[in-house]
Amino acid sequence: MILLNDISQTVLIILSIGLLISTLEYLKKVQIFSPNGLLSWNVMQLKWSKQNEKSFFKPIFKLFSAPGLAALFIIRCLLIIGLLFFPLQSTTGWVLISLLGVSLLTASLVTYYGSDGSDQMSMLIIITLILCNLPAFTTGKLRDIGIWFIGLQACLSYTVAGIAKLVSAEWRSGTAIKDVFSTKTYGSKKASLLLQKYPSANRFLCWNVIVMETIFPLCLILPWQYAIVFLIWGFIFHFFTALIMGLNSFFWAFMATYPAIYFINHQMPWHLF
Amino acid sequence: MKRRVSIPTLLFFNQFEIMMLKLNPIVIYELVVTIFLAFWFLATILCQFKETKISSFIRYKIDYFNLIPLWTFFAPHPGKRDYHLLYRDKITDIDYSDWQEMEITEERTIWSWLWNPEKRDKKILSDVVQSLVSSIPSYREKAGSLNLLMFSMPYIIVLHAVSQYKKQSQNCYRQFMLAESSGYQKETAPSLILLSVFHQI
Repeated sequence: MILLNDISQTVLIILSIGLLISTLEYLKKVQIFSPNGLLSWNVMQLKWSKQNEKSFFKPIFKLFSAPGLAALFIIRCLLIIGLLFFPLQSTTGWVLISLLGVSLLTASLVTYYGSDGSDQMSMLIIITLILCNLPAFTTGKLRDIGIWFIGLQACLSYTVAGIAKLVSAEWRSGTAIKDVFSTKTYGSKKASLLLQKYPSANRFLCWNVIVMETIFPLCLILPWQYAIVFLIWGFIFHFFTALIMGLNSFFWAFMATYPAIYFINHQMPWHLF
Repeated sequence: MKRRVSIPTLLFFNQFEIMMLKLNPIVIYELVVTIFLAFWFLATILCQFKETKISSFIRYKIDYFNLIPLWTFFAPHPGKRDYHLLYRDKITDIDYSDWQEMEITEERTIWSWLWNPEKRDKKILSDVVQSLVSSIPSYREKAGSLNLLMFSMPYIIVLHAVSQYKKQSQNCYRQFMLAESSGYQKETAPSLILLSVFHQI
């Protein structure tokens, strides 16, 4: 059984919960890959129009039927469960995570439409962990570099999202959240009505998200007692986006990066004394 | 005649020799992975915000596996409209069936914060429709009409999706309509985005 005494392992365990849920969701919806489904391979293969690309990826194209992908998702679930029993640094653990990475990359060829930022963050973390934990080749330094990469990508994601909102008139005027919440796609009737009733709450929420996302990387350099404010904010933010907007996979993918942020913060010089 | 070698040159070669000795497979691997991650991070930064020649090259020519994220969630333009996909069949030259709506958006359950498989269908159609909507102006500008849009990937996916529903007759002609509405707010009326021609399905 694995122990949560290692940052990479903690990142992997948190991410695995989200990946397991996400994979089971795909299994439930596997009919979208059937010949009459939304992501039917009959249609999706048109994306690969160039002959050289076709011949390169052809061996895995056979997998992209509903039964083929169902098998892939079941195998992925077993790999994730297997990772609970074998540490990442062991050869078996590394083989399991590598196969998990292969299954994610393979499925990404057919889930071109429908994947989101949480899927990309998950792939980014898994590939980094594979590269930085190769048995016999890895060093403590390389594992640290991998954790730095994950933490920096998380901070970049928040800052980019914050700046993109800061330059948006709709976000600055404080109407964006109310407008998003009023859609059936990402909103909620109750939340929409509540924000219509209290416009000042809407403005506060918009600016809260803009400011906190933009300055999020400060959590890397501030003393821990201040830095943790950003992580608590992030936890609440992702919990409510899961609750109100149904973005459940974002919660796990981004929470998985927080141990990496903790690690980087504690590598700052003032924590060494 | 002997060539004289300067002390800095000797020192440089000495350092180089030491570096070469240190370059065992583990060091080389560490170096390669570090460079790879550095490039990945740099590519991610380059692909945010404005689309440039470099970002287009990375996104469309290199990134087959969608590994370069776009982190501008819900910004600068938050999605504040719901999309609707409707279809109808031609029964005779002057008679058409009623418009039927494909369920894209549906209310979430109380467990959606943990278990939300429905989000996949919604996200796929939302991505496809957004891709279709965003490509309409360029097709209008380049080709002067929307005829070529029929050969685009998102159009074919939408047509394929609506063609799976029960047909009125064996030799059926189907038309689809993309519309948008403002969700729970009833301030603005639903509006038409795209009306397709009739396709034999």
